[in-house]
Amino acid sequence: MNEQSRGSTPRTLTFEIFRFNPEDPESKPHTQIFELEEEPFMSLYIALNRIREQFDPSLQFDFTCRESICGACGMIVNGRPALGCKTLTNNLPEHITLFPLPVFKLVGDLSVDTGTWFRQMVERTEAWIHPDKDFDGNATEEKMSDELSQAIYEGDRCIECGCCIAACGVANVDPEFLGAAGLNRVARFIVDPRDKRTDSEWFEIVAGEQGVFACFGMMACEDICPKDLPLLEVNAYLRRKMLASRFAASNS
Amino acid sequence: MSAFKTGLDDAKRELTFELISGASGLVLALFMWGHVILVGSILTGARGFDWLASSLERYYIAQPTVIVIFILFLVHAVFASRKIPARLRERRAFLDLSKDLQTRSQRRRSDGHLGGFAPHTESMLWIWQVRTGMVVLVLASFHLVLLMIDVLTPMFGEQAGIESATTLARVSGGLWLPYAILLLCVEFHASVGLYRLAIKWGAGKLLSRSTLHLLEQFIFWVVLVLGFVTLLVLAGVMAPPLEFLLSESPI
Repeated sequence: MNEQSRGSTPRTLTFEIFRFNPEDPESKPHTQIFELEEEPFMSLYIALNRIREQFDPSLQFDFTCRESICGACGMIVNGRPALGCKTLTNNLPEHITLFPLPVFKLVGDLSVDTGTWFRQMVERTEAWIHPDKDFDGNATEEKMSDELSQAIYEGDRCIECGCCIAACGVANVDPEFLGAAGLNRVARFIVDPRDKRTDSEWFEIVAGEQGVFACFGMMACEDICPKDLPLLEVNAYLRRKMLASRFAASNS
Repeated sequence: MSAFKTGLDDAKRELTFELISGASGLVLALFMWGHVILVGSILTGARGFDWLASSLERYYIAQPTVIVIFILFLVHAVFASRKIPARLRERRAFLDLSKDLQTRSQRRRSDGHLGGFAPHTESMLWIWQVRTGMVVLVLASFHLVLLMIDVLTPMFGEQAGIESATTLARVSGGLWLPYAILLLCVEFHASVGLYRLAIKWGAGKLLSRSTLHLLEQFIFWVVLVLGFVTLLVLAGVMAPPLEFLLSESPI
């Protein structure tokens, strides 16, 4: 059982939180210390709300679902991108530093705008189904094997929280790099038989300058993914797929 | 066409560059293992070493190999270094990020479970690959030029070819230091590189990533220890431990 539920003396946690409001010309980037008594089953979501209630109502951070499905609460926790709602203070040392995710535009304090980055990624890769005929709402849905639908669903589990992008060396210096989240999303449509794009169309998207071959193989994306997605396997699948498609094209 | 599509030619080029840097690295890493084992013939004494060297030269294996390896080495340097960030602030960003990711942030809870974030090391290993790669570029260039002179010309020693007497004199005369640094850097660079290459192309499906990492570390230590024992013998610090194998002396 959890030590806290057994009523031992609660720890006092020290939160060192990044503060900066880009809207306020007076504001300078700095960190601020808050001390808080640990509660049973306390997540960073709960802790940040306590800090906002008790100490500073101006503290900015994002949360929506509290159950790691909306992807809004990505932040750097002790140097590691993680979801605030999923990270329990019980697993961390007394001193907890919180920074906003890099790469993305800062809204203020811990709040960043991941939407703009993901939108440009989706638009550049046209990450939506490209059918070869108009949608007929009255037609019977085409059958799909369970194995295939599971494979598509696995890629769809990504909540686009941006943690893999923040942990990626390449994405940190090249904001155009598709990154693990982008490549995972593209792979999902490559696998999907309803998307009728050809191998050479995919090749241009995936093998291009900001595609899979710009990856250094630093492997942080998979290690920090809060949804435990097989991002390295997706990356390897895309590499092999690109090689095979060039091989086929040069032989035809 | 969306703005992202940089054209088929760009994409083809990216694939070609990735294949060249990966394949040249693979061949060089495999060659290094074979190389360390062959030089390890000095463990059987000067006779074993000279016999092997002259055999490889007599059948014209050594001569083309040293030239091909030198070319591959330069090709790998050019194509693998294309990914190193050019600007200092970008390198700084890589270093800060990698340091943060390898910081342990864990706590042993009273239920015995170790929670929190285990260190992520592969990003920092990449930075060390760049650093060791730079050292290898300098030291291996020197080593390869020296060996090309040895193998292809009679400039050093009695005749054209690798001779144990020349090698022993050189290493014990002071080249043990750059060779020791080169050995360490090359082995590190090659084993981490092979691990990364395997993961990049999907070997993680056959063996788990942790198994591959362990395998990489095992090979690293085996080759490193063999290489260092070889260096100790070449430097004259240690007698060849396997000399009895080729000994003709009576019982």
